[in-house]
Order: sequence, then C-alpha cells, then structure tokens
Amino acid sequence: MKPIVWLASFPKCGNTWARLLLANLASEEPRGINTIGTGDGIASSRPRFDDTCLIASGLLTHEECDAMRPALYRHLAEGAGRRAAARESADDPLGVWQWIKTHDAWTCTTAGEPLMGGGAIAHAAVLIVRDPRDVVASLANHNGQTLEEAATMMADPDSAFAGRSDRQPLQLRQRLLGWSGYYRSWIEQDEVPVHVLRYEDLQAGAAGALGAVLAGLGISVDPARLERAALWSAFETVQAQEAESGFKEAPVKLGTGRFFRSGRSGGWREELSDALRATIERDHGEMMRRFGYLPEGRR
Amino acid sequence: MFHYVMSGLRVTSDLAMPGLIETAATASAAPDVRIRQGEVPLALDDCDASGPNWQMADDRFLLRIPGIVRMTLDAGTAITWQCEGDTRPEDAVIFISGSGFGLLMHQHGRCIMHGSAVAVGGRAVLFCGPSGAGKSTLAAALAARGFGHVADDQCVLSGLAGGEVLVHPDGRAHKLWEQAITKLDLAERSGDPVRSALRKFFVAPQAASPAESGAALPLAAIYILAEARAPDLVKGEKVTITPLNLADAAIAVRANAYRPAMVERLGQAGLYLQAAAAAQRAGGVFRLVRPMNFEVMDEVLAALARHWEDTGLAERVA
Repeated sequence: MKPIVWLASFPKCGNTWARLLLANLASEEPRGINTIGTGDGIASSRPRFDDTCLIASGLLTHEECDAMRPALYRHLAEGAGRRAAARESADDPLGVWQWIKTHDAWTCTTAGEPLMGGGAIAHAAVLIVRDPRDVVASLANHNGQTLEEAATMMADPDSAFAGRSDRQPLQLRQRLLGWSGYYRSWIEQDEVPVHVLRYEDLQAGAAGALGAVLAGLGISVDPARLERAALWSAFETVQAQEAESGFKEAPVKLGTGRFFRSGRSGGWREELSDALRATIERDHGEMMRRFGYLPEGRR
Repeated sequence: MFHYVMSGLRVTSDLAMPGLIETAATASAAPDVRIRQGEVPLALDDCDASGPNWQMADDRFLLRIPGIVRMTLDAGTAITWQCEGDTRPEDAVIFISGSGFGLLMHQHGRCIMHGSAVAVGGRAVLFCGPSGAGKSTLAAALAARGFGHVADDQCVLSGLAGGEVLVHPDGRAHKLWEQAITKLDLAERSGDPVRSALRKFFVAPQAASPAESGAALPLAAIYILAEARAPDLVKGEKVTITPLNLADAAIAVRANAYRPAMVERLGQAGLYLQAAAAAQRAGGVFRLVRPMNFEVMDEVLAALARHWEDTGLAERVA
C-alpha cells in the first residue's frame, strides 16, 4: 500500500507550479517544466486507465468510465501498479506517498462510490486555490476563450474538461462543477483530509507556504532544501523555459503561446472590467470569503 | 452460429459480431477459437495476478467491465461471456470482439500489435499507438486515397521466426468517431454505432484489399504515431518521419503491443523483440510525428507518400 496524496485544483490555479516545486524538492538537480512527468501523473490519464484495466476507455460512456475509476485508484494505491514504484528514491522525502494531480471535483459514481476511491487509499489532499478573479484571465488564455466565456464556465455546475462525446478526448472526462462547486466538493467531503495551499501564499513565499503544507501532512523538510526548490521553480525561470522550448503539457492550440502567462496575483485589477469583477464576486462570493479573497461580511 | 476469420484464426461465435470478416462454416476443421455465452464467475480461485477489473489464474483470464459484461478467456482458445445488469449483448459485443479477443491473442502467445494497417503495394503498413493516437483516422484517410483496408485496431503478426512476416486483418470496418467521419467526409459510408450510447461508428472502407477475405499480407513497415507537441513543435517542423534503430525499435514495438502489460505478465518480451527485428528486415520501424489536427492531414498523407517513394515501397504499387 502506497497511499495517494491528491494534488487537487480547478484548472489554472497553480497545480503545475506545485508539481514543479515537489519535483524540485525531491531532486538533487534542477528539474525543468518538461521533466516533471507526463500526463500519466494526472488522475484522468487515459493511457493509464487502458493499460491497467486492459480495456479501451474510449468504448465506455463518461459515466461508465467513472464507475471503474474508484477500483483503478484502489489498485494504484495498493502498489500493484508498476508506476507506483517508479518514484521511489532513497533521498526523496515525499516518496512515502504517490502524488497524483487531479482536476476532478470530488464526486460520486452512479453507484454512489467516491470517484477518487474514498478515504482508505488517500493520505490527504492538497487543495490548491487561487483567486477566481485571477483564474478568469488565465483560463480564458488556456481555453482560447473570452474573459466572459471563461467566467461563464467557472460559474457552470456542469462544467467539465475532456467532456466531449463526438470524439475521444485525450484524457478521461473531469467534472469541474464550476470554480465554487469544485472547491466546495473537496472541502465538504469527509473522507480525505484536505490541506489548503493558496496560490497567493506560494507567491508571497513558496518555500514557506509549501513547507507549512508539508508539515501539515506530517513531514518536515530541511528549509534550505525548500528554498532551493523554490528557486529552481521560480516563475521567471519557468517562463524562460517555456519561451526556450515550449511546455509539452500546454494545450496544443496555444501553439507557442504562453501556458505560464503572467503568474501574477491581483492582475484582475487591470484585466477585468468592473462588471465582470462584480459577476465573479457574486458567483463565487461564499467560497471567496472562505479562502480569504473577499472580506467577511461583504455582500 | 456465426463464423469469422479473426487475426488469421477461424472463430465460431453464438453472437453476431459486427465489422468482422464472415466466412462459411467448414464442416471438416474445428475452429481455433469458440466464443459463447455462459456462466462467468465474478472471481477466479487461486489467481496469480490481478488488476482493478481482471484476474489471471494459470491459463484462465477473467475480464470484467462492471455493469456491462464479464468474460473468461481460456488457454487462448475460448471466450465465455455473460452480460451484466440489463446490458443487451449487442451493446457488449465490442468488448468481446475487441478487448477480449485481443487479450486472448496475448494468452495464445501470438504477437499482437495495437495498430491499424493499410495495404501499400500489396504489403501491409502498420500505424501503431495507444487509444486516441489516430490509428483509425489515418487508416481511413489513406483508404480514401485508394490504400486498401487491412486492420483498424489489432494486427497479429506471424512468421516471426524467419521468412516472411505476415499481418493478419482484424475486420472489414473502420471504427471512427463522429468528428472524424465529418472531417473525412465519410457520412455516406458510416453504419451502426459501435455501441448504442457512443457516437463512434462502423465505417465501410473506401478501398478494399486482399485482407477483406481474411488473407494475410506481408509486413512492409511499422510507423509509431506520436503527436507533435512542445518542445518538438517549436522547432518548426510539423510532420516528421524518423527511422528507429534496432534498440529503439525493440522498445517501441513492445510498448505498442496490444496490451503491453500482458507482454510483461506473460513473459513474452522475446516475441516482441523478434517482431522488432523482423520489422526492421521487412522495411523498418519509424516514428511518425505530426499535429493531431485534421487541417494537416493532407500534409501527413503527402509525407507518407514521399516516404514510400523514397523507401521503394510505392514502386510496388506500379
């Protein structure tokens, strides 16, 4: 048994940054954006489903596929999966768990099972959160949408990634439930302990913010090592790497455009119209207050 | 009872299996594989290995697609199936003729590649890759240019020990998603959905080949499909075809077995090394990198046509 730590976030909330930080924390030399593992590292990886379940997930409806995913994650956690051991390294303080990225909201299958396999196989979830007013512009860039379209998606409880049915999407369908729905689903489930990591706190000091979350998970890491990982994962470094050689996990339609766009916090003050800002604050007020993006009591 | 030629084997089935190559019943010879409905256990006793939805015990394999169908595969010669819940057999059959039969070929000790294939100059060219790599789409686009259909998803190779390597067809239809059917303008050739709830359809190939009757074709070459992505994409080249040396070909061929995990599990690595060496002798193993975008399909087809001229394969067409 090698329990899972879910790295859970709505898209464009800093999941890749967190993964890069963790990869650099586990490494003795700098790891670049194209060396932090392939799509296999994500819970919704189609190749891993097919390789492990020995059937073509593409022949299943989204719901039928979801019905098989809890057993897949149980199998991975039980350590029977080949890839479970791939991360092991004597000097890797993170190696006791499997760190798996996911953009799936916490949902249940049609049979009522938690999609992510439940509490028995997961040590914890690190829930990476970012101010939705900053997510809008990043998501619009990622999806090739207008800001308004991105805001609509973030407010849509039926929103999903890889959810089309006229083709086989690259990944398994991931229900997002909208930005608020996403975070509510994770913090309101009571199977897996959730540790919140705010994008803004990473920005204010990645080493400290990451160290605090890891401490919450029960491991202490040498502060110098945290500082080194933060330095190797700095936004400017990441952006330079993308400019130089591109990012293989970026959507192809972005072309040579920027996956790592601005990385700023508070950019919404210039990028959003007052009306759009008000829309987002209205759509997501409760969760924004929950994570400290709006003062308590403000309506 | 229905009779088919699947991957070079004579198969009898109590279930009609769409898209396959039907054949007349032969009174004289026993079939190589029998597919029939029956009681299928939920678990096997004393299993040696297991996955989330499968178990293996000696020469018996249990595969389950919960709520749809489960089946046992025995000694590479028999599939017993049982639908689950209220699933109708016609909605489960693709798992039997596809996933189930493919695993049976692994169990049978045959070399089975995850690939589509078309006929070029009387020989078979394979396009391999995982699900979603574009195997069927590329084969369908080539069929529209007159290259005969050989296989859609599974290619069994025989004759690896020496002499001519043969590629056995897996059926007589493409299986294409609605988007591909639209983009390739194949709506008129499109038939029933692969499953009632899916917008993936059987499509009659535009060009036939000797494989339509179930006959095997000599292997010409293997192409491993990959999507052009950063960091490769920013180098400016859109479509590239690169020959693999024997070491890389060996890795690629094994990784593109129908179910690579089964190769390891059944200790068949040697078989796929043989296949890689045989493919190198036949014409080569190549990596075909291109954007996964219908707008560049013509460019991909042109690159392949040039490559077949350069390698002498196209001369055989004339």
